[in-house]
This record gives sequence, C-alpha cells and structure tokens, in this order.
Amino acid sequence: MRNLRLNIRWKILIGYFLIICFVGVSILIVSSRISSLQGEIETITTRDIEVHNLISMIRYNAISMETSQRGYVITGTDNYLDPYNRGKSEWEANYNALYQYLSYDPSSIKSLEEIKLTIQNWITEAGEPTIAMRKANNTQGIIDFFNEDTGKQQIDDLRAQLENLRQKEVTATKNHIVELKNRNDILIISLYLMLIIVSIISFIIVSFVSGTIVKTIKDVVKTITEIASSGGDLSTRITVNTHDEIKDLADATNNLLENLNDQYWIQEKVAEVATMNQGINDVETLAGSFLTKLSPILNAVYGVFYIRTGNGDSQRLVKCASYAASDEEIGHGSFRLGEGLIGQAALEKRTFLLNTAPGHRINLTSGLGKMEPKSILIIPFEFEGKVAAVVEFASVESFTSQHLKLLEQIESHFGVAINSVQGRMEVERLLSESQVMTEELQTQTEELQTQSEELQMQQEEMRMTTEHLEEQNLFAEQKTKELEKAKEELETYSEQLRRSSQYKSNFLANMSHELRTPLNSILILSQMLAENENETLSTEEAAYAKVIHTSGNDLLTLIDDILDLSKVEAGKIILTMDEVNVSEIPEHMNLLFSPVAETKNLTFHIQLDSDVPQLLFTDGQRLQQILKNLLSNAFKFTKNGSVSLTIENASLEDIQKHIPEHTGDHVLAISVADTGIGIPVDKQQLIFEAFQQVDGETNRQYGGTGLGLSICNEFTKLLRGHIIIDSTLHKGSVFTLLVPSLPDMEKEQLVFLNQEIAATAERPLEAAAVVSAPDVADYTVTNSTDYEGPLFKGKNILLVEDDSRNIFALVKVLENKGMNVTVANNGKQCLEIIEKRTNFDLILMDIMMPIMDGYETMKAIRLDPTHKHTPIIALTAKAMKSDREKCLDAGASDYISKPLNMDQLFSLMRVWLTKQVGH
Amino acid sequence: MSQSWSEDSESIEELSYSELEQIEINLLLDGIYHAYGCDFRNYLRTSIRRRIQHRMNLEGLNTITSLLEKVLHEPGFIDKLQNDFSIKVTEMFRDPSFFAAFRSEIVPLLRGLPEIRIWHAGCATGEEVYSMAILLLEEGLLDKTKIYATDMNEHVIDSAKLGKFPLKRMQAFTKNYLHAGGNKEFSSYYTTDSEHAMFHSDIKKNMTFAQHNLATDRSFNEFHVILCRNVLIYFDPHLQNRVHDLFFESLAPHGFLALGNMESIISTHKTQYEDINASERIFRKN
Repeated sequence: MRNLRLNIRWKILIGYFLIICFVGVSILIVSSRISSLQGEIETITTRDIEVHNLISMIRYNAISMETSQRGYVITGTDNYLDPYNRGKSEWEANYNALYQYLSYDPSSIKSLEEIKLTIQNWITEAGEPTIAMRKANNTQGIIDFFNEDTGKQQIDDLRAQLENLRQKEVTATKNHIVELKNRNDILIISLYLMLIIVSIISFIIVSFVSGTIVKTIKDVVKTITEIASSGGDLSTRITVNTHDEIKDLADATNNLLENLNDQYWIQEKVAEVATMNQGINDVETLAGSFLTKLSPILNAVYGVFYIRTGNGDSQRLVKCASYAASDEEIGHGSFRLGEGLIGQAALEKRTFLLNTAPGHRINLTSGLGKMEPKSILIIPFEFEGKVAAVVEFASVESFTSQHLKLLEQIESHFGVAINSVQGRMEVERLLSESQVMTEELQTQTEELQTQSEELQMQQEEMRMTTEHLEEQNLFAEQKTKELEKAKEELETYSEQLRRSSQYKSNFLANMSHELRTPLNSILILSQMLAENENETLSTEEAAYAKVIHTSGNDLLTLIDDILDLSKVEAGKIILTMDEVNVSEIPEHMNLLFSPVAETKNLTFHIQLDSDVPQLLFTDGQRLQQILKNLLSNAFKFTKNGSVSLTIENASLEDIQKHIPEHTGDHVLAISVADTGIGIPVDKQQLIFEAFQQVDGETNRQYGGTGLGLSICNEFTKLLRGHIIIDSTLHKGSVFTLLVPSLPDMEKEQLVFLNQEIAATAERPLEAAAVVSAPDVADYTVTNSTDYEGPLFKGKNILLVEDDSRNIFALVKVLENKGMNVTVANNGKQCLEIIEKRTNFDLILMDIMMPIMDGYETMKAIRLDPTHKHTPIIALTAKAMKSDREKCLDAGASDYISKPLNMDQLFSLMRVWLTKQVGH
Repeated sequence: MSQSWSEDSESIEELSYSELEQIEINLLLDGIYHAYGCDFRNYLRTSIRRRIQHRMNLEGLNTITSLLEKVLHEPGFIDKLQNDFSIKVTEMFRDPSFFAAFRSEIVPLLRGLPEIRIWHAGCATGEEVYSMAILLLEEGLLDKTKIYATDMNEHVIDSAKLGKFPLKRMQAFTKNYLHAGGNKEFSSYYTTDSEHAMFHSDIKKNMTFAQHNLATDRSFNEFHVILCRNVLIYFDPHLQNRVHDLFFESLAPHGFLALGNMESIISTHKTQYEDINASERIFRKN
C-alpha cells in the first residue's frame, strides 16, 4: 500500500496537469477552428477575389479581343491585333485558372463551360474569320459579317454569361462570408463553452484535490478538537484513510496522544495518590489507602507497607499496612535497616524489581487456591534523602515500565506525603496537647479566680469589719468625752450600785437572819401541833399542822440558801481553813443520808479510796455544805436505783483541765453519782445559776428552789475547787467535786474574798458599757436618713456643673443622703479643686460647660495619676451613642443622661461607690 | 494537707500514694454519684483533685476517704462539695469582644427568625444570661426570644433567677457592657440596694431557668443558639464528646454554637461546623 501512496504534492501536480491538458486540448481545438476559419477567410480573400478577377480578366480578354478585332477590322493595322492575340492567348489560361477555382461547383463549371464555348465560338465564328477577312481584305465579307454580326450576339451572350457567373460568384462569396460569420460565431461560442468546460473541470479537479486534502485535515482537526473538548479523553485516535502527509501527521499525533495518554495516566494516578493523602491524619490509614489505591493500578495482588520508626540504632521498618493478605499470613513484622530486601532497599534507597521470583516465600491465596507471584517490586520512599517508608508489591504478571514510571513519579510525592502526615500527626498531637493544656490553664485560672474571689471576699469582709471597727473607733473617739463622762457617772453609779448591792446583800443576810427567828417559832410550834401529843387535834388538823411544818422547813431551807448566797455575794463568808479529817466525811454523810435512802428505798454507797491522804486543808463546814447539797440533790432527783459517794485523789488531767492555777498540795475528787433523771447537755451549765432548774416542770415535780447547786458552785469557787458534771438524761448524773488542799491559805482568806467581790463589783460597769454599745449602733442607724446610709454617708462628691439650678437641686439631694458635695462651676475650676484635694470618692461631670467642657476636663483629670481610678460619671444631655463613646474615650467611668432620674443616679452612684472585688 | 499526710505515713511510697489518691477520688466520685445522682466522674481529674484538696484544706481533713465519710454521713455536706466542684466564675458581658461579635455578626442572622430559642448551658449565677438578654433587648429581639438557662447546681439556678448581682462587681460589669458595644445606659437596667444591683423584670420575662446536667441529661428542645462558655474545660474528653453530641443534636440547622475563648470543638465534631468567628469561638452548624 505504501508504494501506492499518493501524497498531496502529487495530487496537486496531477490536478494541475489535468487542467493544463484540458486547456491544451481546448487551445488545439480552438486553433484548428481558427485555422479552418483562416482557410475560409483565405478562400474568400484569394479564391473569390481571384475568381472575380479571373471573371473580369476573361471578360476583359473577350472585350479586348472584340475591341482589337474591331479596331483591326476597321484599321487593318496590325497594332490593333495585338490585344486580340494577347486576349486569345490569355483567356484560356484565365479560364483554366477559373475552372480550377470553380471545379467544385458543377453549376458554375457548366456556366463556365458555356462561357468557354461562347468565347471559342466567338473566336471561331467572329474573330478569326473577321481577321482573316481583313487580312484578306474581304471588306464585303466583313461588312456582311458585321451586318449579321453574330459575333456581337455572342459577345453579348458572353457578357451576360460572365455577368451571371460573376453574380453567381458574388452570391457565392456573400454566402461564404455569411457562412464565415456563422462559423465565427460558433467559434466564439465554442470558445466560451470551452472556457466554461475547462473552468468546471479545473474546479472539479481543484475541489477534488483540495477536498481530499482538507477532508483529512479536517478529520484530524475534528479529532483533535474532540479530544480537546472532551476534557482530554486521550483514548480517541485519529483515523485517516489516505496515505499522505496528513496520515503521517495523524500517526505522529496518535503517537503523541498515546504518549500523552500514558503520561496522563501516570499523572492521574499520581494525582489520585496525592489527593488520597489529603485529610488523612495518621500513617496507618495513609499506608492502607495507598496500598488499596495502588495495588489495582499496578495489577498487584499483594502489598505490604513498612514505615520507618525510631532513631539512631533503633531504627526499624515496621509493617503498618498490607493489601490482600491477613496480617499474620505474609510479611515480616519489622526489619532493621539492611535486613532483607526491605531493609536493603531502605539502606540503599534503591528499588528492587524481581521479575521472576521462583519459590518466593509467599503464596498468594485466592478463594480457589494458591499461586506464586511472578514479579516482586520493592520501592523505598524518600523524604529529604532519608527513606521514610518501603513498600513491597507482588504481582502474578510482570510490572510494566509504565508502572515503574508511575512509581517513580509517586515516589517523590509520597515521601513528602508521608512526612507531612507524620508532621500532621505530630502537629495534631501537639495541638490537642496544647488544647488540653490551654483548657487546663483556663480551669486553673478560673479556679484561681474563684479562690482569689473567695479570698477577696474574705479580705473584703475583713476590711468591712475593720472599717466597721474603725468607724466604731472613730465614733468611740468622738464619743470619748461622753463616754468618759458616762464612765465617771457610771463609776459613781457603780459605786452606788456596789454599795447598794452590798446593802442588798447585807439586808438579805440580815433579813434572812431576822426571818429565821419567827420562822423558827412557827416550825417548832407547828411540829408540836403535828405531833399532837395531847390528842387535842383531829387527824385532819394534825395533817394541816404537818403541812405548815413542812412548808416552814422549805421556807427555812430557802432562806438559808438565800442567806448563804447573799453572804457569798456580800463577801461575808468567812472561811475557816483547818485540817479536815477525810475519813470522817463518809461517816458523817452516811449518818445524814442513810435515813433518806431508806425512806426513798434507794441504795446508798460510800467509798473512800485507801490512798487518799488523811488530812485536807480546807473549810470543812463549807465542804460539808457542798456535799450535803449535792447528795440531797441526788436523792431528790432519784426515784429508784442508787446514790453513791466516792472519795478519791483527783487525776492530774482533771486538775490541769479544771483548776490549772492550782500548784500546791494534793486535790481530792469527791463524786456524787445517782441514777436519777439526769440533766440535758444544754442545761448543764445553767443549773449552777441561781434559781435555775432544768425546767419549770422539774421544779413542780421535785420541789426545791434551785439555789442549792448555785451555792455549791459559789462555795467551791471559794475553796478554789471545781465541780464537774457528767450527766445523761434519764440515766443519772455524776457531780465530781475537786477540792484542793490549801495549807497556806488560812490568814489571807478574807482579803482574797474581798478582791473577788471587788472584781465582781466592777462587772456592772462593764455590763453597762456592753449595753451601751448596741445603743450606739442604734443611734447611727436611726440618725441616717436611708438605710444604705453608710454607703453614701460622708462620701466626698465633686459636682462639676455650670447650671446653678441643677447645682442647687443636686447638692440638696446628695447632701440629704449624707454626702459632702463640692461644686465646681466649670472644668478649669474642677481641675483647680482636685489639684488641692484628692480625696473625692466620685466626680459627677457635666459635659456642656463654658471655658472647659467635660471631655477636656475628664482627659485632664485622667492624666493625673492620683485620679486614674476615681469614678467619673458623665452627665450627658440626651446624647447620641457617639457622644457616649466620646465620654468613655475621654475617661468617663459611666454615663447617665439628663434630665437625671434620681433613682437611677443613686443606683449608679451605689455601683461606683462600692468597693469592687476581683479587679 | 495531703502532702503532710504523705510525709507522715512514710510506709506508703510516692507512686502508690498517687495511685491511692486516684482510688480514693474514684471512690468519692462513685459515692457521690450513687448517693446523690450527681455525676462528676467524667470531670477533668486534675481540676476535681484540686477542688477536693481545697475542700480538705478547709475542713482540716487528711484523707479523701474521710471526706467521703463526711459526704455520705454529714447532712448538707454534699452541697458544699458540689459548690466546690461547680466553678462559678462568670461576669456580665464576660469577654466583651465576644458579645460585640455576637451583636455584629450573629444578631443580623437571627433577625429573620420568627422565634429565637437560645440555650445557655452552664449559666452559673446567670450573669451572661442577663447580658445576652440586655443585648437582645437593645437589638429589639428580646420579645421573640426564649432564653433557656441551665446549670447542674440548683443553688446557683435559684440565685440566677433573682437577677441580683453584688454591687462589688458592678463596675467591672459596666466596663464590660461598654466594651461589648452596649448602646444605652447600663444603669437604666437595674436598681440597687446597699449591696446588690437588681435587674429589671422586663429583662427576665423571657428567661427560663432550669436544673440540667450536661453529664447525664438529654436535650430538651431545638435551639438556634447554644452558649456554653468555659464549661467544657472542666470535662474530660469523653464527656466533652458527649456534650458535643448533645449540642449537635439540639441545634437547629445552621444554628450557632458559642464556646469559651479557650475552648474548641473537638476534632470528631469539627466537620459538622463552620467557623463564623474563630477567635471568638462562634461556630455554625452545617
């Protein structure tokens, strides 16, 4: 086929050649036509003219023969005969020539032959004879002849014949010319026709030739355009049926496309691999998707991905993903650098392609069986000259060069990708770490803030307390004189009180003494009556008397108690310190209380520890009184069970705890325990106070005045001892009396007691002072107009305002709240004032003022470091937001718009006068 | 205190000490959960540990176990501890730039809604709830807005309902208000007594306060805006994830989520939101 290739050059050449041929043929035809026309024209010009000439010559010959004949005949001169002879000789030649010319026309030949005949006839019948006759001088004959003159007839015929011929010939010539003209027209027409035909043929050839060229070009262009417009579908190929340069071009282009397609495929795959990397944040996923992606592309049936981990000597390539295999089945878990092909590939940064891998360790397992791979490919991926990962592929087919090219392309990208993913992982890890740390920081900050707030609250509270104290101090100072005065008064009063108290105690002591006398008689007499020895009283009356006696006894006890108590208070008790024989106490008590125990059906135990010292230095009488009181209480509140008295040495612990001031001799612990009603914990201290029992109910149920324990307590104090209560409700009580032995006390007793009493005497003064404190507080509260008074009271306010009515109103309102108001009429004045005084708590700043407006003033104030934080409230006239911003920029702390809402103003002032926490 | 304790008992080594402490904290939190239903088990351990130590300091206790004993046997003690655990650091217009951004960027997008539902999760004593209400009032949106404010601590909810804040903090609040782009007089929103500023009831009218525990409770409505600022920082990642699930579930399509300025959306939820203002931590549900 190649031999038959018809290239464009040949096509064009053939085309032109054909056209030239056609043009040549046409020219030949035309020139033949022209030459035939030329013949015609020549015929017309030469023959017809010759014919006409010849006809004229013949006629001339004939005429000149006749003329010459006649002339000769007339003259007889031979001269006249010359033309005749000449005519005679010439005419036949002319005739022959004419014959020649007209031979093609039989009718003309016929007329010519007739003319010849006529001439010959004339010559023979008229010419020759007449000449001969003249020569012969046969005049007669001549005359006869001319009379007949057949000759003339003949000449006339001839003339007519020649004329005919000439006419005929003219007509023939005319016909010729017409014919010529027709043919000329035909020629012209045929010329045009020729032109048209040639043109058409040329056009056909040209369009055929160009068509074949253009069509293929167009096909190529179309294919290329299609490829371009289809967005690079490089699978389309250009098909050309011709065998020319276009085909070469198409073939070349197809090759290019093929190449491009390969390139494109590689690039596409590279791009796919590259895009696959996006959004992957861990190496395992990256490796996994890399294998999943690339294995089908490479027709690989098995793939393992090893990633480089560790540093220095511990560097290893660790398997982190595999394709088409369960992890246990194939692939080493990890390789050291240089270990096996994987390690070697990493070490050398070299790609291994093993095209036949006979007996390769791995078997590729499919559902149907196992096969051996044909080709193994091991590729290291580098980043910055360091192998980051190694991938191994196995295939049952061979890897193509394209696969290798693809891998080569991917290699550089993927190294970067691995690195960037690792980087991303690191960044992600660091980010989340930093996020956790940030959050941790925030929680700590908030916790710290909470704690610092708590601290600040405490601090604030302390400050408030301090302030409160200071305020009180101040107040106290202010009231010092009054207080001193009051103190003097109080001292006088207390002296009086002390005295009157003493009087009271004395009085009571005396009174009870005085009371005992009549009471004694009542008791004695009532007892007598009750005994009814004379049987003079009825049983009922005796019972009455008993009641009187009992009541009297009770009254006596009460009076005794009161007496004792008042004696203590009046300092009238005189202790008689002496040696007390401890062993006598149980006996004595037993004597006193056994009968009571018997009547109440109670057990009474007395125990005296053997190691108790025999002697105790104390007031024996008072000690007995205490014990009696305690025991009678115990018996009183015990319905059943037992009462026990225990005497032992006090434990060191108890001594230190309850009578720490004691340093001397031993201390006795005498306990009275009962199984009575007990005392609730909260009442245990109360019972030592005068006239107190656990509750009113107890009083009614068990009788007694409640003074007993009170007296015990007082006596114990006198004896420098202490009473410990241990009691459980409903279970019973244990009163333990600690009595120290006081061998050195004898003489000082009374003095000591007096001191004690003096000390007690001072108490009313203190009490008075304590009482007066709430009074003072009350005074402050009631003195202020509002209950939030302390916040506003005494606060120094600087009012910067130019309108006197506003000033008047504001000052009045603020002063009503107890604030000290200073007024500045303009900014300048304000600055002058704050230069002198720095103790303003708050500044109210009007904005629209003469001389220096509020903005300027505020800016100036803020420049002064001492007023950096003084609250400034801007009083703006129903302002725009921009004005407010201007206020804030100028340094205002807050703003309020005029006309002022007083409640709002006070709210605002409360906010700005309150000490802040947290900032 | 615990340090001194560890020094005292030298038989216990440092390592086992911290292990022991972990065990004790676990026991304490489990105890609280089983006895009172409050679940602090997924709170950030470091924070909880510090709060526990703080309480131990105050109570003069040597071991967490003794704290647990108090929690279980001393009436009312759990309230103290719960108060310790719920950090109530808040202020009005906290992070003014956030409120400024909310005003300029989010409010225009909310304007078209027929009704706006806002959930303030972890509102503490309610300062930010009132701030948001004031902002919306100034923008003319408060009437069609419902603000649901929740906290796990009922005491603070009760306090938040009052709308009563100490005067001691009002100067700072005023400054914040001004920085957050407030365009009225802040003083026109409250009246005062000697210790507190009381906010007007018209600010409160569309607020609903309720006890709600992010660690255990479910969503209760669909919201256009969820504010949960500086709450998630006290949670461990597991609980943070749970809360993010809850928020995502509770947000209307294209709803907004606002977090504290140190917080961020954890990575598993990142794709569900687009950044509206990353620096102010305002996100929009996709």
